[in-house]
Amino acid sequence: MAFLPQERLVPLLTLLSDRMEVVAPILVEGVPVFASWSGQPLALKDNPLMPPQEFFLPQREVLFRYIQDCGSYSFEEAAGKARLIFGIRPCDLRALAVLDRIFGSDPMDQSYFDKRRSTVLVALNCNEPGENCFCDHLGFGPTCSEAVDLQLTEIDKGYLVESGSPAGILILKEHPEFFLETSQSHLLEKCEMLGQAREAMNSCIARSLPGIKEAIKKADWNALGRTCLNCGSCTFVCPVCHCFTIQDLGVPDGERMRCRDTCLLSGFSRMAGGANPRISQGDRMQNWYLDKFEYIPQRTGLLGCVGCGRCSRVCLAEMDRWSLEVKR
Amino acid sequence: MEKVHTTCIYCGCGCGLLLHVEDGRVVGASPSPLHPMSLGRLCIKGWLAGEFVDHPDRLRYPLIRRGDRLSRVTWEEALSLTAASLRAIAQELGPNSLGVLTSAKGTNEENYLLMKLARAGLKTNNVDHVARLCHAPTVAGLSYAFGSGAMTNPIASLAQATAILVVGSNTTEQHPLVASYILEARGKGARLVVADPRKTQLAGLADLRLAPRPGTDIAWINALLNVIIQENLIDQEFIDARTEGFDAVRQTVLGSTPEAAERISGIPAHDLAEAARIFGSAERAAVVYAAGITQHTTGTDNVQALANLVLATGNIGREGTGLYPLREHQNVQGACDMGALPDLYCGYQKVAQARQKFEQAWQTKLPDEPGLTALEMLALAEDGRLKGLFIVGENPMMSYPDSSQIKKALEALEFLVVCDIFPTETSELADVVLPAASFAEKEGTFTSTERRIQRIRRAVKAPGEARAEWEIISDLLHRMGVPADYASAAEIMEEIASLTPQYGGVHYDRLGACGLQWPCPSRDHPGTGILHAEKFSIGRARFRAVEHREPVEAADDEYPLILTTGRSLYHSHTGTMTRRTSLLDREVPLPAVEINPEDARLLGIRNGQPVMVETRRGSISLEARVTEDTPKGSIFVPFHFSEAPANVLTSQALDPVSKIPEFKVSAARIRRS
Amino acid sequence: MSEYIPRLAEIVDIDIESPNTYLISLKLLDNENFSYKPGQFVMVSVFGLGECPISITSSPTRKTLQLCIRRAGKITNGIVDCRVGDVLGIRGPYGNGFPLERMKKNIIIAGGGSGFATLRSLVNYIVDRRGAFGDVAVAYGARTRQDLYFMQEYKSWQQAGIDVGITVDIGDESWKGDVGLVTALIDKFRLSAGSAAICGPPVMINAVAKKLMDKGFDHSDIYVSMERHMKCGVGKCEHCMIGPYHACQDGPVFSYDKVKSVL
Ligand code: SF4
Ligand code: SF4
Ligand code: SF4
Ligand code: FES
Repeated sequence: MAFLPQERLVPLLTLLSDRMEVVAPILVEGVPVFASWSGQPLALKDNPLMPPQEFFLPQREVLFRYIQDCGSYSFEEAAGKARLIFGIRPCDLRALAVLDRIFGSDPMDQSYFDKRRSTVLVALNCNEPGENCFCDHLGFGPTCSEAVDLQLTEIDKGYLVESGSPAGILILKEHPEFFLETSQSHLLEKCEMLGQAREAMNSCIARSLPGIKEAIKKADWNALGRTCLNCGSCTFVCPVCHCFTIQDLGVPDGERMRCRDTCLLSGFSRMAGGANPRISQGDRMQNWYLDKFEYIPQRTGLLGCVGCGRCSRVCLAEMDRWSLEVKR
Repeated sequence: MEKVHTTCIYCGCGCGLLLHVEDGRVVGASPSPLHPMSLGRLCIKGWLAGEFVDHPDRLRYPLIRRGDRLSRVTWEEALSLTAASLRAIAQELGPNSLGVLTSAKGTNEENYLLMKLARAGLKTNNVDHVARLCHAPTVAGLSYAFGSGAMTNPIASLAQATAILVVGSNTTEQHPLVASYILEARGKGARLVVADPRKTQLAGLADLRLAPRPGTDIAWINALLNVIIQENLIDQEFIDARTEGFDAVRQTVLGSTPEAAERISGIPAHDLAEAARIFGSAERAAVVYAAGITQHTTGTDNVQALANLVLATGNIGREGTGLYPLREHQNVQGACDMGALPDLYCGYQKVAQARQKFEQAWQTKLPDEPGLTALEMLALAEDGRLKGLFIVGENPMMSYPDSSQIKKALEALEFLVVCDIFPTETSELADVVLPAASFAEKEGTFTSTERRIQRIRRAVKAPGEARAEWEIISDLLHRMGVPADYASAAEIMEEIASLTPQYGGVHYDRLGACGLQWPCPSRDHPGTGILHAEKFSIGRARFRAVEHREPVEAADDEYPLILTTGRSLYHSHTGTMTRRTSLLDREVPLPAVEINPEDARLLGIRNGQPVMVETRRGSISLEARVTEDTPKGSIFVPFHFSEAPANVLTSQALDPVSKIPEFKVSAARIRRS
Repeated sequence: MSEYIPRLAEIVDIDIESPNTYLISLKLLDNENFSYKPGQFVMVSVFGLGECPISITSSPTRKTLQLCIRRAGKITNGIVDCRVGDVLGIRGPYGNGFPLERMKKNIIIAGGGSGFATLRSLVNYIVDRRGAFGDVAVAYGARTRQDLYFMQEYKSWQQAGIDVGITVDIGDESWKGDVGLVTALIDKFRLSAGSAAICGPPVMINAVAKKLMDKGFDHSDIYVSMERHMKCGVGKCEHCMIGPYHACQDGPVFSYDKVKSVL
């Protein structure tokens, strides 16, 4: 545990960026996004709309190259690159924990774990939850509930830094000049900040796990399906959603690509012969909710939703995503 | 990973998005929460907008025809051959033997330069683009009625409406973001009336659904006006203060009773009366329409009928009211604004009136003879009177009506240059093929259907030797003896701003995530959301009486069904990009003709069966999709698929005013194959 | 190495099973062991076109790895358009296969249409290990005579003491056998309750399962091989979800009680 004075954050990141790509929330035309950081002003107020999950499971990535040679083939894989992600929030960190369990189940997904292993995570606890956030209602956050290399909490004039892994400890050890000793009062301050954050969240959003489960039981899926505009946004912004498809690009040499997919499209489950086990949009929406709140918990022990609220921000349909009522 | 703010290329909504770039490659896209219309949302096409960019099929090198093969050459060779051949044709047969077809998918800068190339370089007004095929009637009709052919309000204004009439637009599929605002209004209690022969998703959510027989829109729209007048739901104050010509319209619609309209359109009279009451008594009513209104021989009149409705009820110039024409391609609006039209310079300045202004600006003599529309050019080409054609970013072989006719025309050309990002059915016929940069590889601006001018930004390098069109066209301009030393797209916009009153205040440094809505006459002007608020640019808005005319082709014994064509959510235009996007291609991998179960039963056609669709012009083979969504007596074919190109079937019958072809009504028959 | 990198296999033989279905024999180029169970599947790659799941048609008791491929789309067309000597990619075997260790000695195998391809693996396995099984019957139905797979093998199954019933939906002059549903065949067998293995269209599966349950089979002894859209084969991509299960890992073989509700 250490204290990082406010003004030393950027110099520390600058130093680290010599060794690896530093990814942090920055502004592009005013829009906060996670992207390569090279000294731009940090945008630490809101959690970006796209979660940093894409650094482990990109929207498109090359699984391997195939190279044809005299009728046979050889293969090339790319190596993961060393990266530090600064500013990942507790909800997105939690989502990574879910993905770790899914992609780590036998047989392990090498491509995912290559990136996972070569990435250092520096989390930022949330002092000011966004208007759609409801992690606390799901029983964790707005502080990190998983082990993470480093976690920062903004307190008066700086950050309380806590390490949770050898990689994190190493950063503290290697750069002692940036950090100050912590005191008990720092910890108290952290607790107080996060307590306030929790209250702020609870006062603006009334959502509960039992409430959501009840809504899923009662929902009129056909009515919901009729208003869904098949945009896939709710799945593309979700830090837990991880559906993908695999596709080849190029002959005779080319790339086998992994591309993000969404279970809300009818082609997702349609089989080669044309039969489709989830025929209506309502079926597909129901499956999405059941996956998050029943199936993923059954498989991984963790909820498939981390309460980041992103899906409510992007939905094109006129429905309340949590009471599952169609607005008229 | 870098992220670059840009604009979606798939429809006129013009959503803001970010391209994700890793190691010089587009690896994803995501919505821009700051974009004032899309607000951090996208439809499925927008999410996948970057995927086709690195497709191996991209054109990488300039090609010229040697015998029956296209072979790789240098840019110098390709461009000097182009310039020399065009010049030779002009010398022999005069400049009007040349033509330029631009693209509603190209940027404003490119469209501007192309119209400059045609007029200042080739000395012809023969320049046109694909808007002719979807929204020429909007430009013609609304310019007459309101003085401007553009959408009257920002899209977001729809959310404030208390009644919305949607006509001939499958909004949820073709303009999903507009649909989201319609749903928002509906969620807040607005009454929704949807008129469409097909049972679209929106029709399923409507308070009232009207299913007119294709080609009878004027009849039933006039009936709405009839009831509105009868029941005194008109806004007399507005009519008196701000319009002219209402009496003629009142006279004409007198006979258009709901009962009379029922006989023509097949919509029950009481539904028409109810629709009229919903619309007429709403505090804020809006009309949304798309190609279903315009792609008819009566296209311009259809648009006027809607304008009459809006004017009579005073639903214009205020939040939540207005007329919302929805443009298919991302830059139909901009291509029109930029004067890629045979009779207009940029900013809708008439060739006849503004020629001197442009001669002065461009320092050259300009042609005064009126130019030809796209289909007129192709007709002349077939006759051998138009010999050289420069086509940029367009695939007439697929997108223009009556493909076999188009093929003949293109083959008759002496010299065809095609500039595109992928090989197409049209580039296969070209003498010179120029590889272009895609939207992710160049700078420029698009103008969305809500008049929002917004930037696209270069995110990655173009493949091979492909270049941005604006650079290619500058080069050609130069070779044609017109100075064109633009260092950047921003510089071209400076020139546009200086010549286009509506764009007067548009400069790249002002175009952030939000863009600017025209009219924006000066640097300090914030842009204009709602048009016609205080006054119409023509003084008073103009009513014009319009009457029902039967479509050119009616169903008969030989061809007993009415064929309409259109698009699907998952594809755009001729599919060159969407069909190279895995999820979109998977969603609708194959063309299918939609047919009503009853017709299908009579003809012994099962769902999924291969069938043949025939019209007087040609036939295509595809699968049948039996669905209640298509009304009895009609069939529907999407036109994105080269394996069953719908435009083999369509006719070139034209709207006399706007010269739009009748895509929406052809007599057809269908049988098992 | 990534799980997604396939092993290479050369096509050593192509046989036509029906007008649109081919039996392809493969030899793995790395010469390493490839062990599998009846009911498992592989992901087959045609480089440039992509990858799709194909159930293994051969029995592990026999030497050659065989796949039965019906033209059904871009990739399957690509596979059958290959020639002997061409190289494909193979990942797997994936899935659970039929739980031979848990199945009863008496077994009925019922297949409809192309679903029979995966059952042939089981039938030949039983033929080769006949002593380990009790009464075994095979019921197989296809649309027409032309659509029947593996015709030349029926005799060898009968010789191994297996009851074989074959039926078609639409008969013609050249067809002397049964016409009708697979369930009708089952009525003809003299069955003592045991285990069942079914693969075919959902309607057929339900009909057969119901019939068997009437005859005293327990729904947990009826094993169904489920077809699903699959992309990864390893429980990650979610294409093959059946409720909380992945068909590619927890299946494709499920006991009927688990999947009844989605059939
Ligand atoms: S389901 Fe919605 S709220 Fe939950 S994690 Fe996904 S995007 Fe966030
Ligand atoms: S975000 Fe909303 S409209 Fe889009 S797919 Fe999800 S539920 Fe449907
Ligand atoms: S609505 Fe139109 S502009 Fe917006 S994402 Fe979809 S295709 Fe692109
Ligand atoms: S095929 Fe990918 S999860 Fe089963």
